[in-house]
Amino acid sequence: MKPKLHANRIQLTYATVLSWTSTLGIIFIVAGYFVYVFQLLPSTVSPAEVAMHWSLRAAELHKIVPVPSGWDWIYQLGRGDVLSYASVVYLSSVTMLCLAVIIPLFLKEKDMIYAVMTLLQVLVLVFAAAGIVSGGH
Amino acid sequence: MHQRCYRTIGSIFLLSVLTGLLLFSPAVAFAVQSQTPVQTEWWVWEIALFVFSFFLGIIAVIAGVGGGVLFVPIVSSFFPFHIDFVRGAGLLVALSGALSAGSPLLKKGLANLKLALSMALIASVSSIAGAMVGLAMPENVVQLSLGATILGISVIMLLSKNSAYPEIKEPDTLSKILHIYGIYYDEQLKKDVSWQIHRTPIGLLLFIVIGFMAGMFGLGAGWANVPVFNLVLGAPLRVSVATSIFVLSINDTAAAWVYLHKGAVLPLIAVPSVAGMMLGTKIGARLLTKVHTRVVRKLVITLLAGAGLRALLKGFGI
Repeated sequence: MKPKLHANRIQLTYATVLSWTSTLGIIFIVAGYFVYVFQLLPSTVSPAEVAMHWSLRAAELHKIVPVPSGWDWIYQLGRGDVLSYASVVYLSSVTMLCLAVIIPLFLKEKDMIYAVMTLLQVLVLVFAAAGIVSGGH
Repeated sequence: MHQRCYRTIGSIFLLSVLTGLLLFSPAVAFAVQSQTPVQTEWWVWEIALFVFSFFLGIIAVIAGVGGGVLFVPIVSSFFPFHIDFVRGAGLLVALSGALSAGSPLLKKGLANLKLALSMALIASVSSIAGAMVGLAMPENVVQLSLGATILGISVIMLLSKNSAYPEIKEPDTLSKILHIYGIYYDEQLKKDVSWQIHRTPIGLLLFIVIGFMAGMFGLGAGWANVPVFNLVLGAPLRVSVATSIFVLSINDTAAAWVYLHKGAVLPLIAVPSVAGMMLGTKIGARLLTKVHTRVVRKLVITLLAGAGLRALLKGFGI
């Protein structure tokens, strides 16, 4: 007899969205990386140039080489290093997407405690992503 | 008889992997290279990082240790990257591992959404604070506190005795208000196990500390999440492990954004680490039944303590 799985609809929805978005994320970061290291697209900074300075503190490295950080890359998506960085940004956004999907489901079930809690969690992550609470520039 | 033989062979293989990690690590290559004027090409470091993370992934699964906690102290000791970038990569290693493991655990009902959301909200805020403090601290202070933390984690791992099915006589008021309870099918017992928790306010306070430390050092926090869920809150071990992974995915996301904004994430370091670790984890899971996990766990804890000591010495400028 197959064991009964005890996951409710909201949990299953989260799991399904997570499965798709995280798989895509892994594909994106590997693809973006290959585009960058094999120089399939022009880059703002070559891998060799980054490697010359990767023993420096992050703040010092940024003074010397213009590697993408925060959201300053958004208008340069055609570049290899930017594409690789954007894939990392996507991976860091997966949790936000999954949480945002389940807020309406909590509301539909009139579970206000968790609807509010999930909304607050999404807001914390959105503020962090926007650089509002994470020292962005 | 045959099984014991295979397990011994498996253990010897793992021992040789561990020895290889130490002996043929890039640190040795770096030491040799520093005596000659030849500059190591960047792609050599990329391949070395991938291979290193791959083996780290294998032993992490077998030892039951999160990859993130092994990654930061060891890679920052043996590779030429600044610890800012190693912490950024460490967070992404822990995050991607948690993201890919999260879905099946949620579907099976092992990870509990309500338990995770209740703890993650407060922990993610402290994780952001930890990341900001960590990136603002001088390098020697980071190394010193990382070394001390890693040594502390080694002691926790060595001494902590988990409880598979803790008995909770009466859930606390907060957990009742938050509806934190559940039921899951236990494959070992072949029956449904229902659970509830107690001491929720204490758990929340502990998650503030855990989140802060995870963000500050870029460590996955399974080493702390699991004992708190299991021993403090009283959730069954399987639920604790699975929910810990889910909480990790939220907290590490919050901290990762601080590292992204501070420019402490270089795809050149993060991607080979994530890919190597994920591949290694899959191989490690297959080897799990073929090796003496206790022996490997003790060896990994020793390796971790060694890396912690090394970070401590680096912090003292030795």
